[in-house]
Amino acid sequence: MKGTFIINGQSKTMDFNSDERLVISLRNNGYTEVKNGCLEGECGACMILLDDMPVHSCQIFTASVQNKNITTIKGIGDLHLPHIIQESFVEAGAVQCGFCSPGFIIATYALLKKNPNPTENEIKQAIDGNLCRCTGYVKIIDAIKNASKLIQKERVHS
Amino acid sequence: MNNLNWYFPKTIKEATDLITKEKVLFHAGGTALLPRNLDKINGFINLSDLPLHYFKKENDTVEFGSMNTYANIVSKIYEIDSENILLKSLQTSADTPLRNRITIGGSIAFAPPWSDIIGALIVLDAKILLSGENNGDFPIEKFLQNPKLKQNSLVTGIKFNLSNWKSFSYRNIRTKKDMPAFHIVAMLKIENEIIQDSKIIITGTVNRFDKIIEVENYLKNRKIDDIEFSQIEKLVDVKFTGKRFSDPEYSQKLVGIELGRGIKKLVRNL
Repeated sequence: MKGTFIINGQSKTMDFNSDERLVISLRNNGYTEVKNGCLEGECGACMILLDDMPVHSCQIFTASVQNKNITTIKGIGDLHLPHIIQESFVEAGAVQCGFCSPGFIIATYALLKKNPNPTENEIKQAIDGNLCRCTGYVKIIDAIKNASKLIQKERVHS
Repeated sequence: MNNLNWYFPKTIKEATDLITKEKVLFHAGGTALLPRNLDKINGFINLSDLPLHYFKKENDTVEFGSMNTYANIVSKIYEIDSENILLKSLQTSADTPLRNRITIGGSIAFAPPWSDIIGALIVLDAKILLSGENNGDFPIEKFLQNPKLKQNSLVTGIKFNLSNWKSFSYRNIRTKKDMPAFHIVAMLKIENEIIQDSKIIITGTVNRFDKIIEVENYLKNRKIDDIEFSQIEKLVDVKFTGKRFSDPEYSQKLVGIELGRGIKKLVRNL
């Protein structure tokens, strides 16, 4: 099958099998920043934003989301122009092997866009679809709290 | 690789006409379809372009189009009734990314034994809206008991009345990501410290769901101070099958204890 998608703000036509999952199609088309973890909707490594909502891309048939807006971690920020959330994760030491980081950052981005000043419980709920096997969650939650503060400060200044 | 045909109807009529094709299924959020053996399926009818993402409220009646996700329902109900039993049942169901994808239509049509939506809809006396071969509004219990209603028909929405009864929801899980071994939902009508009426449903049982009539009868017209919570535990008699991570006898014992605890918290405003 062939279909068009809006990926990180750019129109992109992809070839994919009719029973293919979105994580596979994205990776086959060069979006390897979307990690293929469990393929069962458990780990969150493949998380993307679909029309601004965080979802597991392994739990979606590619064919079903043609013409939709897809945001991967690179649509939020990259090495040359990192997002505040990405910088906060590095500063807090919330990254070890890094495999889960794109998913956590996507989940954090969606949370802080909706709720710039979340409570700890709201943070925990927002990342309940993501698993980390290296650092544990303390530093990740610290990173999210710090990103929240920085984003609010930035808003005040702007 | 399977060669699946994908159909993208723009109207409900187009969708219900397509379902008469051989071995095609409706695709809503798709999360329940992914683990299936796709060898037995010829194609999917994608419902995302249909006008079923709506929410309506008229007086005390609310109606959700079947393509609303759990997350949509939670946020919309929260604005109008933060104590609603459907809100309580769905806000902790699955996890955030799955709640952004699972639709109520898919959940109702598929209705797995671990469903978190069924109990709440039963105690709310919800109606299921169908289009196609079986057109009309059907009480949720009738819909669940008569699988033929699904034949060549599409769940287009749900409708229920808001209620001021007190409610609680309890999912029995080991970790947050588990499917529940069972789910208790209860609604109590309390006036002047007396329980006027109650509705209690346990899902995940051998019968898929059970009304706990013995407890409902015990509570009826009983003063809050006169309730013996240990008695509630003894009145719960439901059966469970062996599930992957739970023992039926343990679940049977635990369900009564959790129901007693839930009612205690509810009536004492804990």
